[in-house]
Amino acid sequence: MSILKSLLKMRKKKELPIQIEEPPDADAGADLKTLSLEQLKEKIKDEFGSTIDLSMDDLKTEGKDALLVYLTSMVDTKQLKETFLQSLSGKHDGLKLTTEDDLKSLCKEKFGGAGYQLIETFNDIITALLFGNIIIVFKDLEKALSLSMASSEDRSITEPSTQTVIRGPKDGFVESISTNVSLLRRRIKNRNLRFEKFIIGSETNTSVYIGYMEGISNKKIVEEVRKRLRKIKVHAIFESGNIEELIADKTATPFPLALNTERPDTVAANLLDGKIVILVDGTPFVLLVPAVLVDFFSIAEDYYQNFMMGSFLRIIRYLAFMIALITPSLYVGILTFHHELLPTPLLLGIIAQREGVPFPAVIEVLIMEVTFEILREAGVRMPRAVGQTVSIVGALVIGQAAAEAGIISNIMVIIVAITAIANFVSPTYSFAAAARLLRFMLIIVSAILGLYGVLLVLVFIVAHLSSLRSFGVAYLSPVAPFIIEQQKDVFFRFPFWSMRQRPAYLKTQNPEKMPKTGSPSPPPMKGERAN
Amino acid sequence: MKRYAFLAILIQVMILLSGCWDQRELGEITVVTGMAVDKGENDKYVLTVEGINATELNKQTASGFAPSIVYGVEGNSLAELAYKVNEGISRHLIYSHMRTLIIGEELAKEGIIDFIDYLERNREIRDDFNILVARGLRGADILRVTYQFQKSPSLKLHTQLDTMMKDWGGDPGVRMNDVIRAWTSSGREPVMAAVTILGDPKKGLSSENMKKVTPDALVILDSLAIFKEDKLAGYLSLEDSRNYLWIQDKIIKTSITVECAEGRFMGLRVYNTKTKIKGEIQGGQPKIDINIRAEAYVDGTHCNNQFDKAKTFFECDRCAEKHLEKLISGTVKKVQEEYEADIFGFGEVMQRQDYKDYKPIEDSWDEKFAEADVKVDTTVIIRRTGIRTKSFLNEVK
Repeated sequence: MSILKSLLKMRKKKELPIQIEEPPDADAGADLKTLSLEQLKEKIKDEFGSTIDLSMDDLKTEGKDALLVYLTSMVDTKQLKETFLQSLSGKHDGLKLTTEDDLKSLCKEKFGGAGYQLIETFNDIITALLFGNIIIVFKDLEKALSLSMASSEDRSITEPSTQTVIRGPKDGFVESISTNVSLLRRRIKNRNLRFEKFIIGSETNTSVYIGYMEGISNKKIVEEVRKRLRKIKVHAIFESGNIEELIADKTATPFPLALNTERPDTVAANLLDGKIVILVDGTPFVLLVPAVLVDFFSIAEDYYQNFMMGSFLRIIRYLAFMIALITPSLYVGILTFHHELLPTPLLLGIIAQREGVPFPAVIEVLIMEVTFEILREAGVRMPRAVGQTVSIVGALVIGQAAAEAGIISNIMVIIVAITAIANFVSPTYSFAAAARLLRFMLIIVSAILGLYGVLLVLVFIVAHLSSLRSFGVAYLSPVAPFIIEQQKDVFFRFPFWSMRQRPAYLKTQNPEKMPKTGSPSPPPMKGERAN
Repeated sequence: MKRYAFLAILIQVMILLSGCWDQRELGEITVVTGMAVDKGENDKYVLTVEGINATELNKQTASGFAPSIVYGVEGNSLAELAYKVNEGISRHLIYSHMRTLIIGEELAKEGIIDFIDYLERNREIRDDFNILVARGLRGADILRVTYQFQKSPSLKLHTQLDTMMKDWGGDPGVRMNDVIRAWTSSGREPVMAAVTILGDPKKGLSSENMKKVTPDALVILDSLAIFKEDKLAGYLSLEDSRNYLWIQDKIIKTSITVECAEGRFMGLRVYNTKTKIKGEIQGGQPKIDINIRAEAYVDGTHCNNQFDKAKTFFECDRCAEKHLEKLISGTVKKVQEEYEADIFGFGEVMQRQDYKDYKPIEDSWDEKFAEADVKVDTTVIIRRTGIRTKSFLNEVK
């Protein structure tokens, strides 16, 4: 009892939240009107130091002294020369640039439609510079002109390297966030598709967009996503994986709580189901939240091919996940504890093969599994040119040599191979990784407790899974809690016309995707009544 | 943090302290597939086990050594002997794959009930292995006879009995739990299949025996052993063994030979059969009706039957029915007269169908069984005649 009490006591203790208020930046709101052009120049130089890609030119335009500032590394200089310098010539049209209104009308006239902005604080100038804008500050004017002229040195759109399909669109997201947004907008030509921008990372100032369908997505979840993004205070964001970890409901879990994908069609379909997409500049992987377990077993292609084939492949995927998870531990458990479970001829066959193998079954399995993980890691990291060497060496080491040398048995090779291949079936890499990790835990427990241990860990995993939430949505839904209508798209993929409901666990504003149409059928025969 | 550390230690301790107690690596075990129990010289029993040499059973690793090791020890309880066998065998013995138990004739005559308790109680040993009597021999001798295809004698016997039961029905299909059920039921006596060695048991010992087309020694299914309580009472022929199965409604397929004309025979393959038994006690005498319905096809005939006519079928049906009736009632009569042991379980039928009258005579049921009036009623339906309607015998010049 005392143990229980002490446990409860420990639970009750709560740490007081400590809040650290950052001192407000004194310079943050420095207005332009307080600074002369020269002073401004000095100040910008102070901020950026002696970086070589800062360009500051004095120019006289529209009869007025002005300062042109931009970062050469971020700005498309060709565009700058062609468009900007032509429209702002040295010619003096008699226009006077003395007031803000003058500036406004000048901008309207010359850059109307080019996305100009008028900014007035020094900090805004710095930010605008960093995002690839050019800044023109006119003498004696309170506002500066900021024009977007970011260079777009992008990779062209290629087929995604993960999540490939046989039938389906072959375009994938790229590193540029604006290209990614346009890929989505082209798929969903709908005014209700909304994107919102966040700047995250105190040092990197990375653009992060969220996208959702107004009128479909649950507003509370959208607000929750905004809230969690705003809360992020890290210095750097390089990949959506960073965001995923920072906004997840729980960090201490091997299972991914956000679905990542490179495929615009997957994202589009999920947006229309009421999910929210998070795009991060600089990576082709976008996040979809909230994610539930079954999302990791369904791929876009399920919906592009015959529903029977789609269902079959989906069941295969679940099966493969289980194989990848438990095969090695079953091998260890049965061979060291439960000999009675095997048919006699099979047991005798395995004994004959293992005759002379010096290691206990668990060591044998661990050696092979670790070897395989090493080979796999090597295969991924090696330079492409020597990649083939790995597969040749790997096949020889794993397959033949080890078995022939009597270090491992032949049946072990089969076990490792089936486990590895089953692991590759998983459509999302981050989910397959969970199976890879848990597999080792299962092997070790199974070596100590046998199949009882395997079952114990599986129960533990299920308990853990049911405790998980992704943006408040139960991770196992719609299986637990069980929603009968949603079973059309879990283990089976029902015909397209019958899947009329959006996932109920997302609590969307509009639960129906389409009106009831019934299955397609041939025209009625003579004498038959049309339905 | 403290709490998690505490829980982590707790889980580790729980796992590490409780695990591994029944762990056996494959390299440390020998699988026992057969067991023989005989009467000991000084002590009560001799337990002989057959441990498989798995390497020899695998084609890739076989190198021509003996497929198994057979070794026996003497003592008073099987429970002890099962582990004492290691005085001669190097590895842990795993009994969970045991398929056959052979009881020596000498021991069977004295009674076997004592050691069966161990077999039923043990957590490793299954309760559905074949239980056999070695007719005229010691059980250990049967375990020592090698065979070409399935090199392990006990695995060979297991398959042999199984095939026999499925194709013809000579093996009563008795497993240990059947024997125990017969002992605990008031109206039934147990039976077991009896095996013996054809040829010289001594020559069967070596793997040389496996190299001959006709082995010097071969284990054959010989007859049906009848027990009274736990003591061997005698044997019935293999034919009777099949008939016993028929009454038990356990026939899957069998063949019968019917005399269709003087000195000419017709083979019938029975592929679907159902037996119903009705029992009643009238004035102290049990009356038993055995109703057998069998479907068969003609599987060879010496007679010039005209199978294109329906009449021929009916005639053959009648002929087969008479024959079958004779077979079945002959077996019942033999058991009634010679052994007075109700191996058919008619007592069980009585208990179910006429409990009131059965209860007073329950204790003397075996005597009443001997006096029982058993009527056999058979229906045979010949459905097909193979792939020929008219035999070529009609057209022979």
